[in-house]
Parts: sequence; structure tokens; C-alpha cells
Amino acid sequence: MNPTGPLGILEEKEEEHLSTPILGPSVHSENSQERIQARRLRIAARLETRRREALGEYLDGKKESEEDQSRSYKQKEESRLKLAKLLFCGTELVTNIQVATDIKEIQRRVEEEEIKRQRLEKLENEVKTSQDKFDEITSKWEEGKKKKIPQELWDMLNSQQLHCAGLIEDKNKLINELQQELKTKDDQYVKDLKKQADDICLLLERMEEQVKSVMKTFRQELVHIEKAFEMERQELLANNKKKWERALQAHNAKELEYLVSRIKKVEEYERQLNKQRIWDCEEYHMIKIKLEQDVQILEQQLQQMKAIYQLNQEKLEYNFQVLKKRDEESTVIKSQQKRKINRLNDILNNLRLKYTKQIKQFQEENHSLTSDYKRLVIQFKELQRAMRRFAITDDEKFREIWLMNEEEAKGLIGIALDVDKIICTHHLGLPWTAPDLWFLKNIGPISQQFKKSATEIVEEVLMQTEDEGPEENVSEAGSYLDLPKQVSAKTTRKLLMLLCDESGFLIESKLLSLLLPLEKSECYLLRLDAIFSALGIESEDDLYKLVNFFLKYQAHHLPGNQDQSSVAVGLQSEKFSLEAGKKENVPEGEQEEKEPPPSPRLIHPNDVLKVLEAFVMGLNRPRDTGMPLKVWKEVRDNSKDSEYWEALAQVLPVSRQNLWDALYTALEKYHLILTERAKLLVENSSLEQQNTELQMLLQQYLGSKINSQLQVPPTQVFRVPNKGS
Amino acid sequence: MQENPTSQATSNHGLSLETNQSPTSVGPATDSTLQPVKTNTVTPLVKSKGLNAANARRMRRIIAEDAEWTLAIVPQLTELCIQHIVKNFQNNPILKQLIPAHQQKVLDHLSPDLPLAVTANLIENENYWRRCCSQRWPVCHVSKHGGSWKRLFFERHLEQLVKHFIPGTTDPAVILDLLPLCGNYVRRLRVDQFLPPVRFPTQPRDGDHQSDSGSEGDMEEPAADHYPLRDLVAGLRHLEELDLVYGVKDCGMNFEWNLFLFTYRDCVSLAATIKACHTLKVFRLTRSKVDDEKARILIRSLLDHPALEELDLSHNLIGDRGVRAAAKLLSHSRLRILNLANNQVRAPGAQSLAHALAHNVNLISLNLRLNCIEDEGGQALAHALQTNKCLTTLHLGGNELSEPTATLLSQVLSVNTTLTSINLSCNRIGLDGGKQLLEGMTDNKTLLEFDLRLSDVAQESEYLIGQALQANREAARQRILSPNQLSPTINGPENPAG
Repeated sequence: MNPTGPLGILEEKEEEHLSTPILGPSVHSENSQERIQARRLRIAARLETRRREALGEYLDGKKESEEDQSRSYKQKEESRLKLAKLLFCGTELVTNIQVATDIKEIQRRVEEEEIKRQRLEKLENEVKTSQDKFDEITSKWEEGKKKKIPQELWDMLNSQQLHCAGLIEDKNKLINELQQELKTKDDQYVKDLKKQADDICLLLERMEEQVKSVMKTFRQELVHIEKAFEMERQELLANNKKKWERALQAHNAKELEYLVSRIKKVEEYERQLNKQRIWDCEEYHMIKIKLEQDVQILEQQLQQMKAIYQLNQEKLEYNFQVLKKRDEESTVIKSQQKRKINRLNDILNNLRLKYTKQIKQFQEENHSLTSDYKRLVIQFKELQRAMRRFAITDDEKFREIWLMNEEEAKGLIGIALDVDKIICTHHLGLPWTAPDLWFLKNIGPISQQFKKSATEIVEEVLMQTEDEGPEENVSEAGSYLDLPKQVSAKTTRKLLMLLCDESGFLIESKLLSLLLPLEKSECYLLRLDAIFSALGIESEDDLYKLVNFFLKYQAHHLPGNQDQSSVAVGLQSEKFSLEAGKKENVPEGEQEEKEPPPSPRLIHPNDVLKVLEAFVMGLNRPRDTGMPLKVWKEVRDNSKDSEYWEALAQVLPVSRQNLWDALYTALEKYHLILTERAKLLVENSSLEQQNTELQMLLQQYLGSKINSQLQVPPTQVFRVPNKGS
Repeated sequence: MQENPTSQATSNHGLSLETNQSPTSVGPATDSTLQPVKTNTVTPLVKSKGLNAANARRMRRIIAEDAEWTLAIVPQLTELCIQHIVKNFQNNPILKQLIPAHQQKVLDHLSPDLPLAVTANLIENENYWRRCCSQRWPVCHVSKHGGSWKRLFFERHLEQLVKHFIPGTTDPAVILDLLPLCGNYVRRLRVDQFLPPVRFPTQPRDGDHQSDSGSEGDMEEPAADHYPLRDLVAGLRHLEELDLVYGVKDCGMNFEWNLFLFTYRDCVSLAATIKACHTLKVFRLTRSKVDDEKARILIRSLLDHPALEELDLSHNLIGDRGVRAAAKLLSHSRLRILNLANNQVRAPGAQSLAHALAHNVNLISLNLRLNCIEDEGGQALAHALQTNKCLTTLHLGGNELSEPTATLLSQVLSVNTTLTSINLSCNRIGLDGGKQLLEGMTDNKTLLEFDLRLSDVAQESEYLIGQALQANREAARQRILSPNQLSPTINGPENPAG
């Protein structure tokens, strides 16, 4: 019960296992084993410390031979082991007390158990004996009841009392014994308490000692380890220093070596220098002598030069004098010139002034003139416009008048012809044929036929050739009349095709794409149109020119045809230059030539471009003169007009007029007769009319109502005549 | 004459002014001229700092005349505010709203006597709680309380309250009021004293009864109940350790057996308490006269406890039946440490423990010191250890073991590789037993401690065993070092200590 307290405390403190092996209070422990152990530990610890001390001094000498690193490591390991041992032993020492207490407790328990058992036994025995005694006493009571004699009873009671007293005494003794035991136990308990208090004190003391010693040893070990490290460091330092010194020495030796070698080298160089110097000296002397000689020669030359110089100087002085004079002269001239210049300058200024004035004047004039000119130009333009308008109106009027007259004439002619016709057929009984007159068909004023545009021609050509097909040389069609005779439609067509194929570059690409879906001929047409517009070909003539040019070019350049066409070429070339001026003559001239197309083989496609180029060059020239010609073109010729009108007037020939005169007279006679007849006829008719009127009156009388009222109606009277009528 | 009002005026507002004034008072001529000015200027300045700008001119004049006087003497407004906060902290605790530097200042000046209701959940600062602790207790081992002064304060405070709680006399609210304050911080409750209820009139009669017959305890028990921990423990959310001793300390000459009574009701209430506490890891109930019945009740409540790791029922009166219950607990919990030292365990109890131990995989430490399991129990345990792969520490000191157990243990030593510490001190192993243990030790490479003191073993074999242990220890040290690949120069002497 009580030991639990201290034991618990011990247990708690067990954790702080600290004690000193050197100081052995446990030597005084009651337990022999503990004492032995304590002593042994103490001895071990002492040995340990001694050994360590010995080693500590001994090591210094010894360890130097060993590895440098191992020293500190060994020291640490050693310290560690030592401290571990110290701690372990200390813990054991401290716990020894607990163990001792434990075993004491166990012994106590065992003893206690034994005593308890004995006590129980004793008590049981006592109970038994006392029970026996009690039984005896109780049995005697039975006996006592039987006894009647007071003496006996008293005796018995006495004895009984004695027994009881004995029993009680026994019990009391037991109680006393037990109380005694209790008292001893109490004492024991107090003693135990004291003992345990001592134990705890001891424990504490040991702990403290342990703490102290452990601290001390730890410090010592720390110092040792530090010392070891220090030593190691010093050793290392020493080693390094040695190494350093060795290196330094080596360095010094090398330095010395270098020095010696350097001195040697210096000497060597000095020798060489001396040698060089001597050699240089000799050379120097030699050069000096040579140079002195040179100097002498040069001095001689110098003397010569000086003489020449003297001569030259004199010459120059003379020249100088001459020049001075000249200079003076020139100054005089210069001043004169200057004066002249001044004068001229004045004149110039005057002239300038004049000039500016003039300029102003002229400018003003110019201005006025230009304004005049402008005005005139405007007027002229207006005049032109008016003229044009008048021309147009004149034309129109002319045309209208023409038409009116023509119509009138034609009407008259028609009447005349009709009359003629009637006369011929009715009166003369002759067959009449209408005179076939060209002017009858003409309507409107006679004029030059309009030039067709190049494209129209082309179109015609193309259409025609297509229509005609195989008929190659037939080119007498009406519209074809105006084509130059020497150029067949076929050739033209071919040429145009060629041109179309070769000069595609002249056509705009946009147009090409548009042409794709069209018909072939149409396509050609449009292409040619584009090409012509690019080349500047506008009119029919241009086109013919082109075709001719082609043909001529071909003739020129074909060697085979050259001889034949040489004359023609000459003519043609002449005409070519004239063509622009005389368009009317072109067909005539050409007709004269009657040159057939040189060959069926046309120009080579490669040459087309060259030809074109040449043509364009040629075409551009005549174009320049085209403008005034156009104005002139518009004046129509009236040479044929009178002829026309004459023709119109004489639509009936003179013979016929004579015939008419004769016929007139005859007819007049016939007329007279007829008129007489007519008079007779009128007379006749009036008579007839009188007759009818009379008949009517008769009828009226017959038909009137009075007749019916009459006894005898007239009708019946006139029945028979009526019937006859 | 002039000195008095100024000193009064300045002493109200800090010492710095007062110290500053001493040099000025050297010349009496200056005194008379300066002092009135000072009294006029300094006091309003100190009282209202806002006037600083307005009084700039006057201040400059003062400085011109008195070189020693500076504005630094005047306490800053923040200082004043902090002082005020400190002064009124009890009524108006302002702490969290302050910037850290000011918080620190406030905490430094707070009095440790402030009511816990104010401080408990507001102040986390360790320094403050350190001051509280050192004011109340001269010795404080903060390392035993997880290094937290706050925890230390509350644990000890609560322990003290429970210790001095007298059922029926003290108001239970004293403790329960504290619960919401300390519930978050208390992790361990270590109560080594439970006072019984005081009953003056019956006290002498009790004594009579006790002296006459102790068997009448049943009738008296309801009256002798101690403080029920149920409500308290239920309020402590993080409680991990419960260390109780049902007894009275320092009773002196008032000793009565009745004072050390762990009643049946106490036991039932305690059992329910620990069953409800799921965070409990360590439960200690020592020196409390726990007998078989009570032990069974307690252990039954601990069956399948989710967290319990250590159970300490040492210094009680537990016999074989109680130990059988403990053996059952071994297989129904995750118990790692079991301490049954100084009980009344005999062979049957040890056998049942051995049976449970044979297949246990949790228990690493078993303490059966000062019991009486004798050879039968010892042999059973040794057999169990041949199959057990978990136990590392076994204390069988003072168990009347002898040679047969030693023989079996030597076999165990050569087979088992987990045991690191065995204590067989205070047994009767004998010389032969010692030799056999030595034989077993030669094959063992893992045992680090083997206590054979006072067990009649020959010194020679004990010494040799010690050598073997030393070798094992070295090997273990190397094993610890080698995986870390640390050079042995780094941790030299510290290692064996650890």
C-alpha cells in the first residue's frame, strides 16, 4: 500500500537517468550485489578515465602518423562510447534503487503472506480450540441443568466460570498478540516510510550527482573533441605551411635559375652588340668616303650650274625690261578699252531701256492683236457654222425644189407620155412603147455616189465571196463595180483573212473574248473592224490602198515577179503618192493597168507585219493633207443638171411633136363634125323629152278619178292604143 | 513653490517629463520664469494633441528656452489609446481590430488577472498566457503541455478546480462555466485527487462503522461518490489524455480509509464517460483501488474504442478476472501500451494475457511489474512471444519467475526479432537460467535492453549479456545511421542517449 507512492515517484524519475559512476553511494547499500556492481562500475569508470588520459597524451605522438581525418573522428567515437556507457551505468545506478525497493517489496509480500498464512492458521486453531472449549462449556451447561444440588451447581458454575475466563483469556491473549503484531507492523511501516524517504533522498542525490558528472564529462568530452579538432587543424595548418614553404623554395630556386640564365643571355647580347658596332663603324667610314667624293663632283656641277644661272639671269633681265614696256603699253590700251566699255555700256543701257519699252509696246500690240484674232476666229467660227447651216438648208431647199420640179416635170412627162400613149394607141392605132430613159428613174438631185466606209466594203466582200463560193473570177456584180479591177474579191478576202490572223494583237483582248461565241464571218468582220480602227483605215479608198499596197509589196519582193511588174510598180508608186489627191482617178488609172493579181500565192504571213508597218507609215503622210480636201469635197458639181433637165424636157422627140401637130389639125376637123352631131343629138333628145312629157300628161288624164265618175272612162277608149303602146 | 504643480501635472502623463525636468530646475532664476509657462503649455498639450498645430509658436518658444525639452516626451496618441484599451480591457476588449504592433503592445500591458471569460477565446498570444502561468504557479513545464502556455494554463486551471471540488458543497457550475472557455485548449486532464463529500454529522459514525466492519461500504457508497466527470469530459472536445487518481493528498492525521474509496457508482460513471469520449488516447487510473469488478466495468466500456492507445491501471487491486477482461480488450481495440504494474495478477491472468498476446498486432509495450504470475504465467507469455511480431517492451520485474521461464525466454530471444527491451529484474532466475538466457542472447541481434538485476544470475553471464546488448546497440545505431547516409562524424555522442 504505502510503497506504491515512492515507487511511482521512482518510476517517474527513472526517465532522468543520471548518476555518477565515480561517486558510489551505492557502496553503502544494504544489498551486497548492488554494492558489488557499484564497485565494479566505479573501477571500470576509473580505468576508463585513466586510459583516456594516458591515451590523450600518448595519442599526440601516435596519431600524427595516422590519417589526419581519423583523429577527430576517433575522438568523437571514443567520447560517444564513453558517454553512452556513463549514461547507461548512471541509469542503472539510479534504477538500482528502484529494483532494490521492488525486491524488498516482494520479499515483504512473501513474508507477509507467510505471516498471514500463519496467523490465519493460528486463528483457525484458536477458533477450533475455543470452539471445543465452548462446546465443552455448553455441554456442561446441560449437565448443570440436571444437577439439583446447589453445592454441585455452584461448583459447576465456578468451573464453568473458570472455563469461560480461560476462553476469554485465550481470546484476549490472541487479541493482544494481534495488537502487538499490529503495533510492530506500525513501527515497521514507520520504519519503511523512513527508509523509503531515505531511498528517495538517495535517489535524488544520485540523480544530482549523475547530472553533475554527466555535465562535467560532457564538457570534458567536448573540450577533448575540440582539442582534437584543434590539433587536427593545427596539423593541417602545419602541413599546408610546409607545403607552402616547399613551394616557395622551389619557386625561389627557379627564380635564381632564371636570373642566371638571363645574365648569361645579357652577356651574349652585349658581345653581339659590340661586334655589330665595329662592323657598323667600318661601313660608316666607307660610306663617308664615297659620299665625300660625290660631294666634290656635285660641287663641280654646282659651279657649272651657277655659270649657267648667271647667263640666264642676264637674259631674263632683258626680257623683263621688254615686258615692262609692253606692260605700259598694254595699260594705256587697257584704259582706252575701259573707256570704250563704259561708253558701250551706256549705249547698252539706253538700248535696253528702248528694248523694254519696245517689248511693252509689242506686248500691248500683241494683246490687242490676239484679242482681235480671237474675236475674228470666233466670228469666223460662227460664220462657218452659219455657212454650214445655210449650206445644209440650201441643200435641203435645193433638194426640195429639185424634187418638186422633178415631180412636176415627171408629172408633166407622165401626162405627156400618157397622152402620147393614148394618141398612139387610140388615135393612131400604133403600138406604143414607153421610152426607156435613165433620168426617169432618178429621184432627187444628181450627186457623186458616197464613199462607202471600209468596213462596209469588207462586209460586202466577205458576203459576196461567201455567196459566190467557187466562182472565183466572177466579180461583175453590181455593188462590186467600184472595187478596183485588178484586185479580185477572192484575193481581197484572202488578204483580209491574213491580216485578221496576223494582226490579232491590234484587237483588244476584251473584244476577243466577246467574239468567241459569234459566227465565223461575223467574227472576222468585227475583228477587221477593230484592226482597221487601230490602223486608221476609215474609208473604202484606204482599204483599197491597203490591198494594193499588199499586192505591190508582194510584187516588189518576189524576185520572180519583179521583172514583169517593174514598170507597174513604178507607175503604182507614182500613183500612190497621188492617190490622196485624186480619188476619182484611182479606179481609172488602175483600170488602165489591168494588172491581174500577181500570183495566187499570197504574201507570206511573216511579212504581213512589215507590210502593215510600211503601210501605216505611208498612210500617215497623206492624212496630213486630208483636211482641206474634205471641205472641197462637199461642193457638188452641177454640170450634169442642165443635161438632166434638158433630157427631161425632151422626153418627147420632135418627130412626135410634128406628128402631134398633124394629128391636132385632123382631130379638130373631126371635132367639128362631132359637134354638129352633138347638136343634132341634143335636138333629138329634146324632142324625145317632149314626147315623153306629152305621154305623161296623157297618162295623167287617163288615170284621174273623174274618169271613173264618167260614164265612159277614157281608158277603155284608149285600151287598144294603150295596149299597142 | 513652483515645483509642486508641475510635478503633479507631469506625473500624470508619464515619467519622461519628470526626468526631463530635473536639469531645468538647477538654476533657480530659470525656474521661476520657466515653470509657469511649462505648466500652461504641457498640460493642454498632453491632454489634447490636436492643439499641437495651434500651439506651434508657443512650443517653439519653449524649445528655444529649454534645450532639453522635446516633443518626444509627450506620449503619442496611440500610446494613450493603448493605455486606455488596457485599462478598460475587461469592459471593452478591443484587440482584433488593432494592427499587429499595437496588439502586441496591448498584450504586453494586459494584467494576468483579467477574467477568463474575456481573455480565453480572445487572446492567443503565448506571452500573455506565459505571464498568467508564471504568476500562478512557480514551476511550469510547458514542454509537457505540447509547448503551449495557453494549454498549460487551462489544463492546470481545470485540474486545480477538479482537484478541489467537493461534491455537494462546491457549485458544479464553477467547473461547467469554464467549459466553453477552455474546451478548445484542454487536451489532457491529470487529476491526482478527488475529494469525497463532506458530511459532518455522519463522519464520526462512519469512522465507527469503518473500524467495526468495512463490509458495510455498499450502504455508504452512494454518499461517498466523487465528482462525476461526465459533463466535464463531454465538454472538452480535444481531450486526449485522462489521468486520474481517486484518492486524497496531504490528508495527514485526518486519514481515513473512507477517503480512498473508488465507489461503484464512480466506476460506472467513469466508464460511461470514457466510452463517450471518442478522442481519448490515453487513459490512466492508478492508485485507486480498482478491483476486478470495477476493472471489468471500465474495460467493458473501452471495448472497441476508436482512439484509445494507452491504458494504465497500475497500482490497483486487479486480479485474474480483471486481467482476463484486459486480455479481451487487447483483441478488441488498438491498444498499444498496457500497464498493469503492481496488481494482483497471478498465473491464470497471465495465461489469458498470453493467449491474447499471441495473435495481437497492436500492443508494443506490456508492463506486469510487481505481480505474481510465477512460472506458469511466465511460460505462457514466453510461448505467446514466439508467435507475436509486435511487442517491443516487456516488463516482468518482480514476478517470482524462475529457471523454466528463463529457458523458454531464451528460445524466444533466438527467434523473436521485435523485442528490444525485457526486464526480468527481481526474479529468481538462478545461475542456470542466466546461462540459458546468455545462450539465447548470443543469437539475438535486436534486443537493446535486458534487465537482470537482483535475479540471482551469475555475474559472468550478466556481464556477457551486457556485452551482447552493447553490440546490438551499436548495430542498431549503425542501422539508424546508414539509411540516412550520414557520416558518423556528425552525430557522435548524442546518439546513444537517444
